[in-house]
Amino acid sequence: MLIQLDFKSGKPVYLQVVDQIKAAAASGALKPGEPLPSIRPLAEQLRLNRNTVAKAYTELEGQGIIETVAGRGCFLRLNNSPFRKEVRRQLLADELDHAVVQAHHLQIGRTDFLALAAERFDAFEQKRADAEPNSSKQEKP
Amino acid sequence: MNTATPVIDIQHLVRRYGHTDAVNGLSLRVAPGRCYGFFGRNGAGKTTTIKCLLNLLRPTAGDIRVFGLDPARHEVAVKSRLAYVPDYVAFYPWMTVRETLDYLASFREQWNRDTERALLDQFRLDPGQKTSHLSKGQRTQLALLVAICPEPELLVLDEPTSGLDPIVRREFIETVIGAYQESDPGRRTVFVSTHLIAEFEGLIDEFTIIDRGREVMTLASDTARERYQKIYARFATEPPVVDLGEAKVFRREGRELEVIVNGNSAEVLARLKALRPEAINTEALTLEEIFVTALKTGGPVA
Repeated sequence: MLIQLDFKSGKPVYLQVVDQIKAAAASGALKPGEPLPSIRPLAEQLRLNRNTVAKAYTELEGQGIIETVAGRGCFLRLNNSPFRKEVRRQLLADELDHAVVQAHHLQIGRTDFLALAAERFDAFEQKRADAEPNSSKQEKP
Repeated sequence: MNTATPVIDIQHLVRRYGHTDAVNGLSLRVAPGRCYGFFGRNGAGKTTTIKCLLNLLRPTAGDIRVFGLDPARHEVAVKSRLAYVPDYVAFYPWMTVRETLDYLASFREQWNRDTERALLDQFRLDPGQKTSHLSKGQRTQLALLVAICPEPELLVLDEPTSGLDPIVRREFIETVIGAYQESDPGRRTVFVSTHLIAEFEGLIDEFTIIDRGREVMTLASDTARERYQKIYARFATEPPVVDLGEAKVFRREGRELEVIVNGNSAEVLARLKALRPEAINTEALTLEEIFVTALKTGGPVA
């Protein structure tokens, strides 16, 4: 999992770290039970304030994405959101609203939008499948 | 925001040299654990302010507190808890690196030998080398090492990376992040004056821009990048002169416009979109661009 920061995005830096780790988890670049890089090397590598990285990890922990094991570091959790289903649906609905607004301005209609959503789902599922150790793409011993 | 005693608290600082006010009514406050950027052009008053903080200069007027103490009255108490890396570093030329470290460590209550060993190794400094034979980059590395080993609560850096090659600059910043903030990051405060802003972009979480001895703006970095945005728009034909409120047209070239906004991007975007542009996009300004914008327009804009 390699994080790319963009200071021109206008998005708070710790949120960029949060979103990219979430994306890595969704695409299989980071798997449940796998350790996240610890704060110091990640901060050094990104040349980022450690407090910023720590804030991102705290946020991810609050969202139930990662868990901290004392003395061993942070790990990606299995898909266990601490929120009830309707809360999770509402959180996603808020995100979708942004996409719907964008679709309107880019003149993408409902059908195209839904098709695109399905396509993206497939793409992420494919990435996850490719990241599985038992996938067909595994190298022969 | 933070109820803890500020690590640095400057109120209405004035420092005059003859008839020139090098610093003219500057106030700023740095909370513990922050990495605070102090940006200004050459001669803006950065070094004078830092020298007042360290009691190397007496303020003409105003009030300075470091860890809640007056650095002039409690000089030892203040200095034992901070370390300073100046822009030009001098060591006793007849001493070796090893002798210099032992000499400087003798002034400190604590000295982390593990950090010393790790950094000597990382910087590839030869302990037997005479300091007079060190390059400028190596002298700065040695100064940083000397500043970090006592594990001070405050690290004051004055133009630390100017004149260094890019690799040494990178290592310098990584060392501040890595070795300095290693233990107890909540009590590791950095105050860095620089005009090489881009290099410190990820490190700085709050900053003050100073010009001609006065504060021009103080903002959290994320807030600044959210507030200052550059909007680019391209039209089918040359656009009319638009009223964009307080936003400034930064560049205008035929059918293209570039506008810098300060906190009112939604409104400016709406006005530009009403003119039916062919293309429009927005990006945040980096801290360096914000610095340039702030000093070009002059006066407080925040």
